[in-house]
Amino acid sequence: VNLAHLHLILNHVPTVGSVAALGLLILGYARRNEHLKHVGLEVLFVIAILTLPVYVSGVAAHQELRALKQAAEDPIRVHQDAALIGFTVMEFAGFVGWVALWQWRRRGAAAQGLVPVATILLIVALAVMGRAANLGGEIRHPEILAGGAATPAGDPNRFMTYAINQVAVYSTWVWPAAEAVHFIGLSLSLGVLIAVNLRILGAMKRVPFADVHRLLPWGMLGFGANLVTGMFFFVGQPAQYTSSAPFYWKVAFLVIAGANFLYLTVFTKAWGPEGADGDHRFDAGLTDKSMAILSLASWLGVLYAGRMLPFLGKSF
Amino acid sequence: MAVLVGASYVLDLRVLGIGRNVPLSEYRWVFPTLAIGLAVNIVTGILLFIKDPTTWGTAIPFFVKMALVIASVATLVPMRSLVNGNTGAGHADVSSNMRLLAIASIIVWTGAVTAGRLLAYLVV
Repeated sequence: VNLAHLHLILNHVPTVGSVAALGLLILGYARRNEHLKHVGLEVLFVIAILTLPVYVSGVAAHQELRALKQAAEDPIRVHQDAALIGFTVMEFAGFVGWVALWQWRRRGAAAQGLVPVATILLIVALAVMGRAANLGGEIRHPEILAGGAATPAGDPNRFMTYAINQVAVYSTWVWPAAEAVHFIGLSLSLGVLIAVNLRILGAMKRVPFADVHRLLPWGMLGFGANLVTGMFFFVGQPAQYTSSAPFYWKVAFLVIAGANFLYLTVFTKAWGPEGADGDHRFDAGLTDKSMAILSLASWLGVLYAGRMLPFLGKSF
Repeated sequence: MAVLVGASYVLDLRVLGIGRNVPLSEYRWVFPTLAIGLAVNIVTGILLFIKDPTTWGTAIPFFVKMALVIASVATLVPMRSLVNGNTGAGHADVSSNMRLLAIASIIVWTGAVTAGRLLAYLVV
């Protein structure tokens, strides 16, 4: 299985997954069932995480197709731009869904309007992703084109990914500034996750779990800054990452860490029957402690693989 | 670095009032965590320095970074006495001076990380 093959396997996840998440949300509205909406948002968050490997493996597939010289460049770039927009909307939807889940856990209900906003963003993401998927299919399947022949290639410099690449290469300060933000963001994320996971592992036992849970949005803030700057690096200079083994380790660790983050956000054991306000002295069980250790280990994996990109891989 | 800076950020956020019903004394775990991060960074930092001392020892951005790191670590000293001296009884337990210190701590840590990251571009 090479990365192009991996992309062909994973590329169904954003569209099919969005349909599943949307189905659960709509069913939740139809039946006025909060639990179904909750599950729908959890599925949405997982799909948002999995969209990252879909996007990066797609860029790797582009490099491999380019080496084979058998597919036209233009349809690939059109697909890539559509996929980048789809990825962006999907991450926004996942983020809003996460905020709703966090508030749900904390106050027993999400803020008014937050779940509808997540649902609408998900519908937009599904539409854009559907288009991207369709354009992706056309790269190697001319038989599905209605007109028979592909549209003639336009200006190769018209693409969004091209514009981002130009900024990355020719601006003297944007890349270093994004690197600085990336390091600050990772400090914030890791600091928060250390605090929350140490609480589960037994530090600060007298503090109700609800009070460390309060820190999670700050971790999300750091993570959001890193997703934006990280995607800028990747879209700006894709070739130095697609051929880099530590980069794929980093993405794999990020997926594990992301799933763990969802677990930390929603798990119920730490909350007493009286909800977030009670001083419920939460004592973690073996499962929670294993999850905490897995979370810290995967974040350290993300950090190690990321820092080693220039040394084990060849990025700068 | 992220262990050191991240744990400091978390403590600074508490001093500024995020999660203020957690007694400050519960933040004692921050200091061993900081010590681990600092120790690792001092050892690896010295190793990186002696690999190319004439470059780093003559680079002004490097001294800016070191000044910011020292300032950041210095903010931890009064923070530590605040946390250790806190009995955990009162909730409104942070003076405005300590809030200023927490803001200063966030700024100098952010500056130290930024300066450190930019060394790769400013010093060749």
